[in-house]
Amino acid sequence: MSVPPGQDDPYPTEPFEPAEPAPVLEPAQVHDPARTHPASRRPGGRGPLVAVLVLALLVGAVGVGVGWQQRQVAAEWRDRTEVRTGERDEALGRAEALQRQLDEVADALSTSEGDVATLTERITALADEKAQAEDSATTVQVQRDAVLDLSQQVASSVSALEECTTRLFDLQRDTVGAFNRATAGEQVDVSPLNGRLEDTTAFCNDARSAAARAAAAARALPQ
Amino acid sequence: MAVRRPVALAVAVLLGVSATGCVAAPPPEPPAPEQTAMEQLDLAAPAAESVLRRSREITVRIRALGCQALGIGSGFVLPGGVVVTNRHVVDQPRQVTLNTWDGRSLDASVDGLAVDSDLAVLTLGDDAGLPVAELAPETPQPGTPVIAVGYPGGGPATVSTGTVVGITDADVLGESAGVIVVDAEIRQGNSGGPLLDEQGRVVGVVFALDTASGHGLAVPVSTLLDRLDADAFAEPSGAC
Repeated sequence: MSVPPGQDDPYPTEPFEPAEPAPVLEPAQVHDPARTHPASRRPGGRGPLVAVLVLALLVGAVGVGVGWQQRQVAAEWRDRTEVRTGERDEALGRAEALQRQLDEVADALSTSEGDVATLTERITALADEKAQAEDSATTVQVQRDAVLDLSQQVASSVSALEECTTRLFDLQRDTVGAFNRATAGEQVDVSPLNGRLEDTTAFCNDARSAAARAAAAARALPQ
Repeated sequence: MAVRRPVALAVAVLLGVSATGCVAAPPPEPPAPEQTAMEQLDLAAPAAESVLRRSREITVRIRALGCQALGIGSGFVLPGGVVVTNRHVVDQPRQVTLNTWDGRSLDASVDGLAVDSDLAVLTLGDDAGLPVAELAPETPQPGTPVIAVGYPGGGPATVSTGTVVGITDADVLGESAGVIVVDAEIRQGNSGGPLLDEQGRVVGVVFALDTASGHGLAVPVSTLLDRLDADAFAEPSGAC
Protein backbone atom coordinates (compact mmCIF):
# COMPACT_ATOMS: atom_id res chain seq x y z
CA MET A 1 0.00 0.00 0.00
CA SER A 2 1.34 3.39 -0.92
CA VAL A 3 1.62 6.16 1.69
CA PRO A 4 1.36 9.76 0.78
CA PRO A 5 4.48 11.75 1.24
CA GLY A 6 4.94 13.31 4.59
CA GLN A 7 2.66 10.85 6.43
CA ASP A 8 3.75 8.04 8.61
CA ASP A 9 3.01 4.61 7.40
CA PRO A 10 -0.07 3.46 9.37
CA TYR A 11 0.97 -0.14 8.71
CA PRO A 12 4.63 -0.15 9.61
CA THR A 13 6.56 -3.14 8.65
CA GLU A 14 8.85 -2.71 11.56
CA PRO A 15 7.99 -4.60 14.77
CA PHE A 16 5.73 -2.67 17.04
CA GLU A 17 7.59 -1.02 19.81
CA PRO A 18 5.36 -0.95 22.88
CA ALA A 19 7.86 1.15 24.84
CA GLU A 20 7.25 4.06 22.57
CA PRO A 21 3.60 4.17 21.73
CA ALA A 22 2.76 5.78 18.47
CA PRO A 23 1.43 9.31 18.72
CA VAL A 24 -2.33 9.53 18.66
CA LEU A 25 -3.55 11.87 16.08
CA GLU A 26 -6.66 13.80 16.39
CA PRO A 27 -9.17 13.22 13.66
CA ALA A 28 -8.85 16.84 12.61
CA GLN A 29 -5.18 16.45 12.37
CA VAL A 30 -5.33 13.41 10.22
CA HIS A 31 -3.90 14.26 6.97
CA ASP A 32 -6.42 13.47 4.23
CA PRO A 33 -4.95 14.38 0.97
CA ALA A 34 -8.30 13.66 -0.69
CA ARG A 35 -10.01 16.34 1.31
CA THR A 36 -7.18 18.82 1.54
CA HIS A 37 -6.15 18.34 -2.08
CA PRO A 38 -9.29 17.35 -4.03
CA ALA A 39 -7.60 18.15 -7.29
CA SER A 40 -4.98 15.50 -6.66
CA ARG A 41 -7.51 12.58 -6.05
CA ARG A 42 -6.84 9.58 -8.19
CA PRO A 43 -9.44 8.88 -10.89
CA GLY A 44 -12.05 6.22 -10.10
CA GLY A 45 -12.02 6.70 -6.36
CA ARG A 46 -12.94 3.32 -4.87
CA GLY A 47 -13.54 1.98 -8.33
CA PRO A 48 -10.19 0.32 -8.66
CA LEU A 49 -10.51 -1.30 -5.31
CA VAL A 50 -13.91 -2.60 -6.25
CA ALA A 51 -12.57 -3.76 -9.53
CA VAL A 52 -9.75 -5.51 -7.80
CA LEU A 53 -12.20 -7.01 -5.35
CA VAL A 54 -14.45 -8.14 -8.17
CA LEU A 55 -11.52 -9.53 -10.00
CA ALA A 56 -10.36 -11.27 -6.89
CA LEU A 57 -13.81 -12.73 -6.46
CA LEU A 58 -13.79 -13.63 -10.12
CA VAL A 59 -10.41 -15.23 -9.76
CA GLY A 60 -11.62 -17.07 -6.72
CA ALA A 61 -14.74 -18.21 -8.55
CA VAL A 62 -12.70 -19.25 -11.50
CA GLY A 63 -10.34 -21.04 -9.16
CA VAL A 64 -13.22 -22.86 -7.59
CA GLY A 65 -14.49 -23.72 -11.04
CA VAL A 66 -11.12 -24.79 -12.21
CA GLY A 67 -10.67 -26.83 -9.08
CA TRP A 68 -13.98 -28.54 -9.62
CA GLN A 69 -13.12 -29.12 -13.24
CA GLN A 70 -9.71 -30.47 -12.30
CA ARG A 71 -11.32 -32.85 -9.87
CA GLN A 72 -13.48 -34.06 -12.74
CA VAL A 73 -10.38 -34.37 -14.89
CA ALA A 74 -8.60 -36.27 -12.15
CA ALA A 75 -11.58 -38.56 -11.87
CA GLU A 76 -11.52 -39.14 -15.60
CA TRP A 77 -7.79 -39.90 -15.48
CA ARG A 78 -8.41 -42.31 -12.61
CA ASP A 79 -11.14 -43.95 -14.63
CA ARG A 80 -8.84 -44.13 -17.61
CA THR A 81 -6.13 -45.59 -15.42
CA GLU A 82 -8.48 -48.21 -14.08
CA VAL A 83 -9.59 -49.03 -17.62
CA ARG A 84 -6.01 -49.24 -18.77
CA THR A 85 -5.07 -51.36 -15.81
CA GLY A 86 -7.90 -53.71 -16.61
CA GLU A 87 -6.94 -53.80 -20.23
CA ARG A 88 -3.33 -54.41 -19.33
CA ASP A 89 -4.24 -57.25 -17.00
CA GLU A 90 -6.53 -58.70 -19.64
CA ALA A 91 -3.86 -58.37 -22.30
CA LEU A 92 -1.29 -59.96 -20.05
CA GLY A 93 -3.65 -62.80 -19.32
CA ARG A 94 -4.42 -63.21 -22.99
CA ALA A 95 -0.73 -63.12 -23.79
CA GLU A 96 -0.03 -65.79 -21.21
CA ALA A 97 -2.86 -67.93 -22.56
CA LEU A 98 -1.64 -67.43 -26.10
CA GLN A 99 1.89 -68.29 -25.06
CA ARG A 100 0.62 -71.54 -23.53
CA GLN A 101 -1.29 -72.31 -26.71
CA LEU A 102 1.77 -71.36 -28.74
CA ASP A 103 3.91 -73.72 -26.74
CA GLU A 104 1.37 -76.49 -27.18
CA VAL A 105 1.12 -75.84 -30.92
CA ALA A 106 4.90 -75.68 -31.18
CA ASP A 107 5.15 -79.01 -29.44
CA ALA A 108 2.45 -80.44 -31.68
CA LEU A 109 4.15 -78.98 -34.72
CA SER A 110 7.46 -80.41 -33.70
CA THR A 111 5.82 -83.78 -33.23
CA SER A 112 4.02 -83.42 -36.54
CA GLU A 113 7.20 -82.44 -38.31
CA GLY A 114 8.86 -85.49 -36.90
CA ASP A 115 5.92 -87.59 -38.01
CA VAL A 116 5.94 -85.99 -41.45
CA ALA A 117 9.66 -86.57 -41.81
CA THR A 118 9.28 -90.17 -40.73
CA LEU A 119 6.31 -90.74 -43.00
CA THR A 120 8.03 -89.00 -45.90
CA GLU A 121 11.03 -91.20 -45.42
CA ARG A 122 8.77 -94.22 -45.31
CA ILE A 123 6.92 -93.08 -48.45
CA THR A 124 10.22 -92.60 -50.23
CA ALA A 125 11.41 -96.05 -49.17
CA LEU A 126 8.16 -97.66 -50.26
CA ALA A 127 8.20 -95.76 -53.55
CA ASP A 128 11.74 -96.96 -54.13
CA GLU A 129 10.77 -100.55 -53.35
CA LYS A 130 7.82 -100.27 -55.69
CA ALA A 131 10.00 -98.82 -58.45
CA GLN A 132 12.53 -101.60 -57.99
CA ALA A 133 9.75 -104.16 -58.12
CA GLU A 134 8.45 -102.58 -61.31
CA ASP A 135 11.95 -102.68 -62.71
CA SER A 136 12.12 -106.36 -61.92
CA ALA A 137 8.67 -106.93 -63.37
CA THR A 138 9.66 -105.09 -66.52
CA THR A 139 12.89 -107.04 -66.76
CA VAL A 140 11.07 -110.30 -66.23
CA GLN A 141 8.51 -109.26 -68.80
CA VAL A 142 11.28 -108.46 -71.26
CA GLN A 143 12.83 -111.83 -70.57
CA ARG A 144 9.47 -113.55 -70.85
CA ASP A 145 8.84 -111.81 -74.15
CA ALA A 146 12.29 -112.82 -75.32
CA VAL A 147 11.79 -116.42 -74.27
CA LEU A 148 8.39 -116.44 -75.90
CA ASP A 149 9.87 -115.03 -79.07
CA LEU A 150 12.69 -117.53 -78.89
CA SER A 151 10.31 -120.40 -78.38
CA GLN A 152 8.36 -119.28 -81.42
CA GLN A 153 11.55 -119.04 -83.41
CA VAL A 154 12.65 -122.48 -82.28
CA ALA A 155 9.25 -123.96 -82.99
CA SER A 156 9.23 -122.38 -86.41
CA SER A 157 12.75 -123.52 -87.21
CA VAL A 158 11.99 -127.02 -85.97
CA SER A 159 8.93 -127.14 -88.18
CA ALA A 160 10.97 -125.89 -91.08
CA LEU A 161 13.67 -128.46 -90.42
CA GLU A 162 11.04 -131.18 -90.16
CA GLU A 163 9.56 -130.01 -93.44
CA CYS A 164 13.04 -129.95 -94.90
CA THR A 165 13.62 -133.51 -93.75
CA THR A 166 10.29 -134.61 -95.17
CA ARG A 167 11.06 -132.96 -98.48
CA LEU A 168 14.51 -134.52 -98.53
CA PHE A 169 13.08 -137.97 -97.86
CA ASP A 170 10.44 -137.46 -100.55
CA LEU A 171 13.09 -136.24 -102.96
CA GLN A 172 15.31 -139.14 -102.04
CA ARG A 173 12.49 -141.66 -102.57
CA ASP A 174 11.51 -140.16 -105.92
CA THR A 175 15.13 -140.00 -106.99
CA VAL A 176 15.64 -143.65 -106.11
CA GLY A 177 12.46 -144.53 -108.00
CA ALA A 178 13.62 -142.61 -111.02
CA PHE A 179 17.00 -144.34 -110.81
CA ASN A 180 15.35 -147.77 -110.66
CA ARG A 181 13.16 -146.94 -113.63
CA ALA A 182 16.13 -145.70 -115.61
CA THR A 183 18.04 -148.88 -114.70
CA ALA A 184 15.11 -150.91 -116.03
CA GLY A 185 15.48 -149.18 -119.37
CA GLU A 186 12.68 -146.72 -118.91
CA GLN A 187 13.10 -143.26 -120.30
CA VAL A 188 13.17 -140.97 -117.27
CA ASP A 189 12.92 -137.15 -117.24
CA VAL A 190 15.01 -135.88 -114.30
CA SER A 191 14.19 -132.22 -114.82
CA PRO A 192 11.36 -132.21 -112.25
CA LEU A 193 13.69 -133.87 -109.81
CA ASN A 194 16.32 -131.23 -110.38
CA GLY A 195 13.75 -128.47 -109.82
CA ARG A 196 12.55 -130.10 -106.59
CA LEU A 197 16.14 -130.47 -105.52
CA GLU A 198 16.73 -126.76 -105.88
CA ASP A 199 13.52 -125.90 -104.06
CA THR A 200 14.24 -128.33 -101.27
CA THR A 201 17.78 -127.11 -100.94
CA ALA A 202 16.61 -123.49 -100.66
CA PHE A 203 13.92 -124.44 -98.21
CA CYS A 204 16.33 -126.38 -96.07
CA ASN A 205 18.84 -123.55 -96.14
CA ASP A 206 16.15 -121.19 -94.87
CA ALA A 207 15.26 -123.67 -92.16
CA ARG A 208 18.89 -123.95 -91.14
CA SER A 209 19.24 -120.18 -91.05
CA ALA A 210 16.14 -119.91 -88.89
CA ALA A 211 17.55 -122.54 -86.59
CA ALA A 212 20.84 -120.64 -86.42
CA ARG A 213 19.01 -117.43 -85.55
CA ALA A 214 17.08 -119.19 -82.84
CA ALA A 215 20.28 -120.61 -81.44
CA ALA A 216 21.84 -117.14 -81.46
CA ALA A 217 18.80 -115.70 -79.73
CA ALA A 218 18.99 -118.40 -77.13
CA ARG A 219 22.63 -117.60 -76.49
CA ALA A 220 21.77 -113.87 -76.20
CA LEU A 221 19.23 -114.49 -73.49
CA PRO A 222 20.38 -113.22 -70.07
CA GLN A 223 21.19 -116.04 -67.77
CA MET B 1 -2.24 3.72 -15.40
CA ALA B 2 -1.35 2.63 -11.91
CA VAL B 3 -4.91 1.49 -11.32
CA ARG B 4 -4.86 -0.85 -14.31
CA ARG B 5 -1.84 -2.63 -13.05
CA PRO B 6 -3.65 -4.77 -10.44
CA VAL B 7 -6.33 -5.54 -13.01
CA ALA B 8 -3.77 -6.70 -15.52
CA LEU B 9 -2.04 -8.63 -12.82
CA ALA B 10 -5.24 -10.37 -11.85
CA VAL B 11 -6.07 -11.14 -15.44
CA ALA B 12 -2.60 -12.50 -15.93
CA VAL B 13 -2.93 -14.66 -12.83
CA LEU B 14 -6.29 -15.86 -14.02
CA LEU B 15 -4.95 -16.70 -17.45
CA GLY B 16 -1.83 -18.24 -15.99
CA VAL B 17 -3.78 -20.48 -13.72
CA SER B 18 -6.06 -21.44 -16.53
CA ALA B 19 -3.26 -21.98 -18.97
CA THR B 20 -0.56 -23.64 -16.94
CA GLY B 21 -1.97 -24.87 -13.75
CA CYS B 22 -4.70 -27.03 -15.18
CA VAL B 23 -4.49 -30.64 -16.25
CA ALA B 24 -6.17 -31.45 -19.49
CA ALA B 25 -8.84 -34.08 -19.65
CA PRO B 26 -7.85 -37.47 -21.02
CA PRO B 27 -7.73 -37.47 -24.77
CA PRO B 28 -10.21 -39.56 -26.70
CA GLU B 29 -9.52 -43.24 -26.87
CA PRO B 30 -7.07 -43.86 -29.67
CA PRO B 31 -8.08 -46.42 -32.24
CA ALA B 32 -6.94 -49.93 -31.57
CA PRO B 33 -3.44 -50.43 -32.91
CA GLU B 34 -3.24 -52.48 -36.03
CA GLN B 35 -1.40 -55.78 -36.00
CA THR B 36 2.11 -55.17 -37.11
CA ALA B 37 3.59 -57.49 -39.64
CA MET B 38 6.15 -59.98 -38.47
CA GLU B 39 9.60 -58.90 -39.42
CA GLN B 40 13.05 -60.33 -39.51
CA LEU B 41 12.02 -63.91 -39.04
CA ASP B 42 14.84 -66.31 -39.59
CA LEU B 43 13.31 -68.52 -42.25
CA ALA B 44 16.50 -69.57 -43.98
CA ALA B 45 16.52 -73.09 -42.63
CA PRO B 46 12.83 -73.82 -43.29
CA ALA B 47 13.15 -72.26 -46.74
CA ALA B 48 16.14 -74.42 -47.57
CA GLU B 49 14.34 -77.50 -46.32
CA SER B 50 11.35 -76.52 -48.40
CA VAL B 51 13.51 -76.17 -51.51
CA LEU B 52 15.05 -79.58 -50.94
CA ARG B 53 11.66 -81.18 -50.40
CA ARG B 54 10.28 -79.45 -53.45
CA SER B 55 13.26 -80.49 -55.54
CA ARG B 56 12.55 -84.13 -54.71
CA GLU B 57 8.90 -83.73 -55.58
CA ILE B 58 9.49 -82.30 -59.05
CA THR B 59 12.04 -84.97 -59.92
CA VAL B 60 10.80 -88.23 -61.42
CA ARG B 61 12.43 -91.56 -61.99
CA ILE B 62 12.28 -92.70 -65.61
CA ARG B 63 12.21 -96.31 -66.66
CA ALA B 64 12.65 -96.62 -70.40
CA LEU B 65 12.40 -99.94 -72.11
CA GLY B 66 14.51 -99.70 -75.22
CA CYS B 67 15.24 -102.07 -77.99
CA GLN B 68 18.07 -103.80 -76.23
CA ALA B 69 17.90 -102.93 -72.58
CA LEU B 70 16.04 -101.37 -69.74
CA GLY B 71 17.31 -97.88 -68.94
CA ILE B 72 16.86 -95.95 -65.71
CA GLY B 73 17.23 -92.20 -65.52
CA SER B 74 15.78 -89.07 -64.05
CA GLY B 75 13.72 -86.16 -65.24
CA PHE B 76 11.60 -83.31 -64.05
CA VAL B 77 8.09 -82.12 -64.70
CA LEU B 78 7.15 -78.85 -66.35
CA PRO B 79 3.69 -77.32 -66.58
CA GLY B 80 1.35 -79.00 -69.03
CA GLY B 81 2.43 -82.54 -68.26
CA VAL B 82 5.75 -82.10 -70.05
CA VAL B 83 8.72 -84.00 -68.68
CA VAL B 84 12.31 -83.15 -69.54
CA THR B 85 15.06 -85.71 -69.49
CA ASN B 86 18.10 -86.76 -71.48
CA ARG B 87 17.89 -88.05 -74.98
CA HIS B 88 20.13 -90.99 -74.13
CA VAL B 89 17.73 -92.07 -71.38
CA VAL B 90 14.75 -92.52 -73.70
CA ASP B 91 16.47 -93.25 -76.98
CA GLN B 92 14.67 -95.93 -79.00
CA PRO B 93 11.73 -95.99 -76.62
CA ARG B 94 9.35 -98.91 -76.53
CA GLN B 95 7.81 -98.23 -73.18
CA VAL B 96 8.42 -95.30 -70.81
CA THR B 97 7.17 -95.20 -67.25
CA LEU B 98 7.70 -92.52 -64.64
CA ASN B 99 7.91 -93.14 -60.93
CA THR B 100 7.17 -90.21 -58.66
CA TRP B 101 8.68 -89.61 -55.26
CA ASP B 102 5.48 -90.77 -53.58
CA GLY B 103 5.24 -94.06 -55.43
CA ARG B 104 2.99 -93.27 -58.36
CA SER B 105 3.68 -94.92 -61.71
CA LEU B 106 2.70 -92.92 -64.77
CA ASP B 107 2.91 -93.85 -68.42
CA ALA B 108 4.57 -91.35 -70.72
CA SER B 109 5.33 -91.06 -74.38
CA VAL B 110 8.42 -89.59 -75.97
CA ASP B 111 7.41 -86.44 -77.79
CA GLY B 112 10.75 -85.36 -79.13
CA LEU B 113 14.49 -85.83 -79.07
CA ALA B 114 16.81 -82.88 -79.47
CA VAL B 115 19.13 -83.25 -82.41
CA ASP B 116 22.10 -81.27 -81.16
CA SER B 117 21.75 -81.66 -77.42
CA ASP B 118 21.18 -84.46 -74.94
CA LEU B 119 17.62 -83.41 -74.25
CA ALA B 120 14.27 -85.06 -74.72
CA VAL B 121 10.72 -84.16 -73.86
CA LEU B 122 8.05 -86.60 -72.79
CA THR B 123 4.33 -86.14 -72.37
CA LEU B 124 2.45 -87.61 -69.49
CA GLY B 125 -0.84 -89.28 -70.17
CA ASP B 126 -2.07 -87.89 -66.88
CA ASP B 127 0.07 -85.50 -64.89
CA ALA B 128 -2.13 -86.19 -61.85
CA GLY B 129 -1.38 -82.81 -60.36
CA LEU B 130 2.32 -83.41 -60.10
CA PRO B 131 4.37 -80.51 -58.73
CA VAL B 132 6.09 -78.71 -61.56
CA ALA B 133 9.51 -77.16 -61.83
CA GLU B 134 10.27 -73.53 -62.50
CA LEU B 135 12.94 -72.72 -65.05
CA ALA B 136 15.52 -70.08 -64.16
CA PRO B 137 15.75 -67.27 -66.71
CA GLU B 138 19.48 -67.62 -67.28
CA THR B 139 22.44 -69.90 -66.82
CA PRO B 140 24.20 -69.67 -63.43
CA GLN B 141 27.62 -68.14 -63.12
CA PRO B 142 30.66 -69.95 -61.70
CA GLY B 143 30.50 -70.11 -57.92
CA THR B 144 26.73 -70.31 -57.82
CA PRO B 145 25.48 -72.92 -55.32
CA VAL B 146 23.49 -75.65 -57.03
CA ILE B 147 21.48 -78.73 -56.11
CA ALA B 148 21.49 -81.91 -58.17
CA VAL B 149 18.56 -84.28 -57.76
CA GLY B 150 18.16 -87.68 -59.29
CA TYR B 151 17.83 -91.42 -58.89
CA PRO B 152 21.41 -92.65 -59.14
CA GLY B 153 21.73 -96.36 -59.65
CA GLY B 154 17.98 -96.65 -59.97
CA GLY B 155 17.74 -96.30 -56.21
CA PRO B 156 15.90 -93.75 -54.12
CA ALA B 157 16.07 -90.06 -54.91
CA THR B 158 19.18 -88.29 -53.74
CA VAL B 159 19.94 -84.63 -53.35
CA SER B 160 23.52 -83.46 -53.62
CA THR B 161 24.76 -79.91 -53.32
CA GLY B 162 27.71 -78.17 -54.83
CA THR B 163 28.70 -75.18 -56.85
CA VAL B 164 29.16 -74.29 -60.48
CA VAL B 165 32.81 -74.85 -61.26
CA GLY B 166 32.63 -73.30 -64.68
CA ILE B 167 30.92 -73.04 -68.01
CA THR B 168 32.83 -74.71 -70.78
CA ASP B 169 32.52 -73.62 -74.38
CA ALA B 170 34.25 -76.71 -75.69
CA ASP B 171 32.34 -79.36 -77.58
CA VAL B 172 31.46 -81.79 -74.83
CA LEU B 173 29.76 -85.01 -75.92
CA GLY B 174 28.29 -83.30 -78.95
CA GLU B 175 26.64 -80.46 -77.08
CA SER B 176 26.30 -77.52 -79.42
CA ALA B 177 26.32 -74.88 -76.69
CA GLY B 178 28.20 -74.48 -73.43
CA VAL B 179 28.06 -77.03 -70.66
CA ILE B 180 27.76 -76.38 -66.94
CA VAL B 181 30.45 -78.06 -64.86
CA VAL B 182 29.53 -78.68 -61.23
CA ASP B 183 31.24 -80.30 -58.28
CA ALA B 184 28.01 -81.75 -56.91
CA GLU B 185 28.06 -85.53 -56.71
CA ILE B 186 26.70 -87.01 -59.92
CA ARG B 187 26.31 -90.70 -60.60
CA GLN B 188 24.84 -92.91 -63.24
CA GLY B 189 21.08 -92.55 -62.99
CA ASN B 190 21.26 -88.82 -62.35
CA SER B 191 21.00 -88.37 -66.11
CA GLY B 192 18.08 -86.15 -66.99
CA GLY B 193 17.67 -84.90 -63.45
CA PRO B 194 17.41 -81.20 -62.70
CA LEU B 195 20.23 -78.97 -61.57
CA LEU B 196 18.65 -76.35 -59.34
CA ASP B 197 19.69 -73.07 -57.81
CA GLU B 198 19.11 -72.15 -54.19
CA GLN B 199 15.62 -70.95 -55.01
CA GLY B 200 14.74 -74.33 -56.45
CA ARG B 201 14.67 -73.14 -60.06
CA VAL B 202 16.05 -75.36 -62.78
CA VAL B 203 19.34 -74.02 -64.12
CA GLY B 204 20.44 -77.11 -66.01
CA VAL B 205 19.82 -80.73 -66.94
CA VAL B 206 22.41 -83.21 -65.69
CA PHE B 207 23.61 -85.42 -68.50
CA ALA B 208 27.08 -86.78 -67.86
CA LEU B 209 29.94 -87.28 -65.45
CA ASP B 210 33.50 -86.31 -66.21
CA THR B 211 35.25 -89.35 -64.82
CA ALA B 212 38.64 -87.67 -64.97
CA SER B 213 37.74 -84.76 -62.72
CA GLY B 214 34.70 -86.24 -61.02
CA HIS B 215 32.69 -83.20 -62.00
CA GLY B 216 29.14 -83.42 -63.21
CA LEU B 217 28.06 -81.95 -66.52
CA ALA B 218 24.74 -80.33 -67.22
CA VAL B 219 23.01 -78.83 -70.21
CA PRO B 220 22.36 -75.16 -69.41
CA VAL B 221 18.79 -74.02 -68.95
CA SER B 222 19.33 -71.51 -71.76
CA THR B 223 19.81 -74.40 -74.18
CA LEU B 224 16.66 -76.05 -72.88
CA LEU B 225 14.71 -72.80 -73.20
CA ASP B 226 15.95 -72.32 -76.76
CA ARG B 227 14.92 -75.84 -77.74
CA LEU B 228 11.54 -75.52 -76.05
CA ASP B 229 10.84 -72.12 -77.62
CA ALA B 230 11.87 -73.30 -81.06
CA ASP B 231 10.23 -76.70 -80.58
CA ALA B 232 13.51 -78.07 -81.89
CA PHE B 233 12.82 -81.70 -81.13
CA ALA B 234 12.65 -84.53 -83.62
CA GLU B 235 10.12 -87.29 -83.31
CA PRO B 236 11.61 -90.62 -82.28
CA SER B 237 11.87 -93.10 -85.12
CA GLY B 238 10.73 -95.98 -82.99
CA ALA B 239 12.98 -98.31 -84.96
CA CYS B 240 15.32 -100.63 -83.19
